[in-house]
Amino acid sequence: MDSRDSSSAPDRDCSAGDDDGGLPVTAALAKEASLHFQSRKFAECVDVLNQLKVKKDGDPKVLHNIAIAEFFRDGCSDPKKLLEVLNNVKKRCEELARASGEQMESGSSSGNKLTLDSKGSGTTIQQLSSDSASIIYTGEFDISVAALNMAVIWFHLHEYSKALSILEPLYQNIEPIDETTALHICLLLLDVLLACHDASESADVLNYLEKAFGIGNVNQGDNGNTATHQSTNLVGKSSSVPSSPFVSDASSSDLAASVNASENPLSRTLSEDRLDEMFSTLDIGGQNLARPSGLASVNDHPRITVDRSISGVDLKLKLQLYKVRFLLLARNLKLAKREVKHAMNIARGRDSSMALLLKAQLEYTRGNHRKAIKLLMASSNRTDAAISSMFNNNLGCIYYKLGKYHTSAVFFSKALGICSSLQKEKPLKLLTFSQDKSLLITYNCGVQYLACGKPILAACCFQKACLIFYKRPLLWLRLAECCIMAVEKGLVKGSQSPSDRSEIRVNVIGKGRWRKLLIESGISGNGHVASVEKNDWALGGDGQPKLSLPLARQCLYNALHLLNCSDWSNSKSVLPSNLSLEESESCDGLSSKNPIHKKLPGINSMASTMLSGLVNSNGDLKEPKGGANPEIVQNSVSYYEDIRRRENQMIKQALLANLAYVELELDNPLKALPAAISLLELPGCSRIYIFLGHVYAAEALCLLNKPKEAAEHLAIYLSGDNNIELPFSQEDFEQWRVVKPVDCEEPNGGAAAAKNPSHEGLQESMFLKPEEARGTLYANLAAVSAIQGDLERAHHFVTQSLSLVPNSSEATVTAIYVDLMLGKPQEALSKLKHCSHVRFLPSSLQLSKSS
Amino acid sequence: MGKKMLNLEEQCKIVNLLKSSSEQKSIEETVTDFFTNSKLRHFNVCYSLSLLLQDKMMLSSTERLVAFAILHRSYSSQKSAANPFISFLVNAACDDGAEKYERAFILQLLSSSNSNSSKEFLKQSASDYIKNFDPSSQNFPQREQLQKQYFEKVHPEPYSCLLQNTAVKNLLADPDVPCGCDANSAELDSQPGAKSKLGSGDRDEALSGLIANLSLEGLIPHWIRPVPPRFPVDEELVWLNPDNSHELQWDQGMCADTSRGAAVRDLIAKALKGALAPNQQEQVLVELANDPKLVYHCGLTPRKLPELVENNPLIAVEVLTKLINSPEIADYFTVLVNMDMSLHSMEVVNRLTTAVELPKEFVRMYITNCISSCENIKDKYMQNRLVRLVCVFLQSLIRNRIIDVKDLFIEVQAFCIEFSRIREAAGLFRLLKTLE
Repeated sequence: MDSRDSSSAPDRDCSAGDDDGGLPVTAALAKEASLHFQSRKFAECVDVLNQLKVKKDGDPKVLHNIAIAEFFRDGCSDPKKLLEVLNNVKKRCEELARASGEQMESGSSSGNKLTLDSKGSGTTIQQLSSDSASIIYTGEFDISVAALNMAVIWFHLHEYSKALSILEPLYQNIEPIDETTALHICLLLLDVLLACHDASESADVLNYLEKAFGIGNVNQGDNGNTATHQSTNLVGKSSSVPSSPFVSDASSSDLAASVNASENPLSRTLSEDRLDEMFSTLDIGGQNLARPSGLASVNDHPRITVDRSISGVDLKLKLQLYKVRFLLLARNLKLAKREVKHAMNIARGRDSSMALLLKAQLEYTRGNHRKAIKLLMASSNRTDAAISSMFNNNLGCIYYKLGKYHTSAVFFSKALGICSSLQKEKPLKLLTFSQDKSLLITYNCGVQYLACGKPILAACCFQKACLIFYKRPLLWLRLAECCIMAVEKGLVKGSQSPSDRSEIRVNVIGKGRWRKLLIESGISGNGHVASVEKNDWALGGDGQPKLSLPLARQCLYNALHLLNCSDWSNSKSVLPSNLSLEESESCDGLSSKNPIHKKLPGINSMASTMLSGLVNSNGDLKEPKGGANPEIVQNSVSYYEDIRRRENQMIKQALLANLAYVELELDNPLKALPAAISLLELPGCSRIYIFLGHVYAAEALCLLNKPKEAAEHLAIYLSGDNNIELPFSQEDFEQWRVVKPVDCEEPNGGAAAAKNPSHEGLQESMFLKPEEARGTLYANLAAVSAIQGDLERAHHFVTQSLSLVPNSSEATVTAIYVDLMLGKPQEALSKLKHCSHVRFLPSSLQLSKSS
Repeated sequence: MGKKMLNLEEQCKIVNLLKSSSEQKSIEETVTDFFTNSKLRHFNVCYSLSLLLQDKMMLSSTERLVAFAILHRSYSSQKSAANPFISFLVNAACDDGAEKYERAFILQLLSSSNSNSSKEFLKQSASDYIKNFDPSSQNFPQREQLQKQYFEKVHPEPYSCLLQNTAVKNLLADPDVPCGCDANSAELDSQPGAKSKLGSGDRDEALSGLIANLSLEGLIPHWIRPVPPRFPVDEELVWLNPDNSHELQWDQGMCADTSRGAAVRDLIAKALKGALAPNQQEQVLVELANDPKLVYHCGLTPRKLPELVENNPLIAVEVLTKLINSPEIADYFTVLVNMDMSLHSMEVVNRLTTAVELPKEFVRMYITNCISSCENIKDKYMQNRLVRLVCVFLQSLIRNRIIDVKDLFIEVQAFCIEFSRIREAAGLFRLLKTLE
């Protein structure tokens, strides 16, 4: 940029505030400092900058570069401090710009020309702009580099929402920013958005990048080089398709002629270029509308890439890899496969490790685990510790999917071990911070521990991962699952061991003819968990999280809140309006959709109509015709949003079911009932959860003295008078996934395991089988009939139930109850004696205890 | 385990009470002793006694009388209807299978609540009461009569769980006797000193065991409450890819030539005042074309746009075209639409329509303004001129399909009719007709 400036205006003063002799000195010093910086001689660089500082006291750009150089000189040790300095620089810039802006404004109102004023020159301030956040100061007070650097630091510190809050305003105002900085802003923004799983914004930035930096048509054929040539030629091409509905050269001269205006050839050639571009994009899109639907595509002109640090092919590869990552995020695996192949082509003869890694990820996602392992092995240079840690983590993921939880645990802990040794190293690069993926790996560990039935260890992991995942509903669901599992397994203070929970305890009192059996009530653990303890989100004394049912409840509420929040903003983003801008901004963070693209073209309503047209036009993924990138990307986005919606629905089902269960466990039927009812009201609810919803609702209603309504919930499974159908089938379990791995290539082993990891899984098979669920319904129907006094029916149902779930102590107790009520104590006695879950406690033991 | 109904003190009290019933103490005295100096939970005590009483074999006849007396006395300060065991007492009094003396005793207890009736019967010991009982002296009223007498008004049932209300006694007799033996035979009671027989047992041991283990809750039907399944792991595991190395950027703008494009800035400033010479115009256009960012530094603001449009429409077109992606473009459009109609502003808009995509609203509003300007102008000559301009402008827009005629049909038609005397308006009208 500086070189261009000096060439275009070599004889101009660069710092009007200085003496005449100051010009060459400061410019020369600046150049010297820049050279030192580029050759990484940071100490020398800082020296030169300090000289410059004396000459240009308080110049924010000098301060900025000093901060950057010092940061590198000091081994990148204190990014937070650098952030602080940069923030001050930014503020200083804004102050100066405001001051000079006022000056300029007062000047122009008095009719003076102030364009060459020493301070005001080169600044434009948007007086009329309604959006204060979009103010960009150009020239001397340009803060874009400082802001970019702040975002870079936040990015490396994994503070994505903070990075976003800086990058989004920059992106909305990207046009005035010079190309190099703009490219860096876009690439960083893309990385942040991908890290936040924000497909629609990523798509927007990706489209913009491809258009603005002239690498738009990368997938037009597999020969990578032609695309670059095409893109550079794009501007110069003249219109060869005059049949375009928009082109009418004659008419534009028509007016000009009739009003005697001078004809300017420039405007015509310009419009031809423009129309040519417009036509080409539209033609590819196959739209037949009278007006083009993609405003952005019409009005974007390719930026001329001036960044010398990124060569054309490098940038092309980079963008291609971004695109693959986007498609993987959007789970458009078919396209991802094609694009990753293309990336491999571009990368030929260069560093292809990243392309290989993405290919491995693709195969992993497709369920071709063995292929994924092979690619992973080929991709990485495992001598680099950071890479090796990621490599181990990814292997862990694959083995988890293969159902080999213990192997995956080994890899995860290896990955974590490498991470912690990395942390001990003195950071030499800013990258070292971002390479610390330990929290992400820790999350994976948590999932794996939970699968292995170790809820406390799992909760420790999730708790750590909370730092970055706290806005993910799934994290909170997992924590709640940890609590429930811990209580179920009797690992929590006050909870019973699983054997105790399912046991009927009988006190044997007296001997001989006086022998009596006293059946203890309360076989299930309800109400037995200490709920009085205050449950802060805190560690216990031993550094372990205090798992409890109240904590589970809290987690579930958190998750529901987050989910509702994101549902809501999702629904808004489909039909964007000016209103939704403010609203979705109030709900910031990862889950929120901050509609950048709605702001970008200036006139919101315009853009929004365009957008909704695109979104609504076609939800399916069309087979792409060469180069129709925006459409592919847009389709991928809507496909992805569908998946997300489905996933959120599934999470919501799980949350409500868990909530109803937890409330029942906490003796709170009044709250369990609405949770169960909401679960039943969810659209597209899985039959498994519908079953749970009815069972929980029925129990809650019964506890609320409404046995009749309770019976109605169970009766929907009745066919005829006395027969209960299977509430769900085995297929419902298989369907109970968000995306089925589609085109698996591995016929045996990996693919089979991927489709149904529950074969090897330890916990997934823990849920009731369809027949057991049927037995449950019988038992509960028996209980509710007994309570209503219909003992004959109760007897019938409980007998059915015991034939399906003979080991259920609950059903046995109900059966005994029915026998006693029917006046058949002998039958009750024999049931009791034949039940495998009875523990007889000798009364002598009791006596010695009590007396 | 479970909730024990009685604490240790209560257990001892009850055991002692039952023991003392066989002594020659008066019932009155036994009962009073029981209640003195203790913090008994009346309900729990009474409830356990009532459970013991339900088993006809468990308690001896004297023990039963004392237990009934306790049940009654515990709540004697209140109306009989308030006694939670009133129905239990009434049922016992009406139980035809029970001993006559026991029923009579309960009836006497119940009627003793009336202050005037005698409490004499309590002055004797329980065994004396049984011994002295004369069945003929007592008549047994009907259950309905008793219910009417003692239930008075229906007591509103306090809220409690239905499940609990339907609870059945969780105590089962399971006599452990050899086949063929009568479990009720007193022979099986272990005699002190005697060798214990098969099936024998000690009643007192069983009794104290019961007292120690009774619980408030009876046996209720149980629900199976399935634990929800664990949410399946789908795309949840985090796959890691190395990050792109975003490096900190050096600000190249430091001490850079801040006067970039100063020449253009000068020229734009001049352009606001008057038409530029052709070579100056050329210079501006070339410089703007050379540096795509220059347009943001050329000193133009929306406020200054009208002057530029009037003096140098071609430069205005070029600048606006370059600013089309600027966030400020909306402000420029607003200014453009609100400025006075003129040849130049129309020229600018017309050229813009062919160069870039203009917002529909903008074009529409601009046309509406054109039409109303024509209507409002006073000077006939100027009006003719403006109408002709507008007509040519509109024809151009329609031919280029910049506007959809349907949107503005009525407005434009009315305009044509109003100015039908002007040739261009008639031409525009004909054009409209062909499109209809």
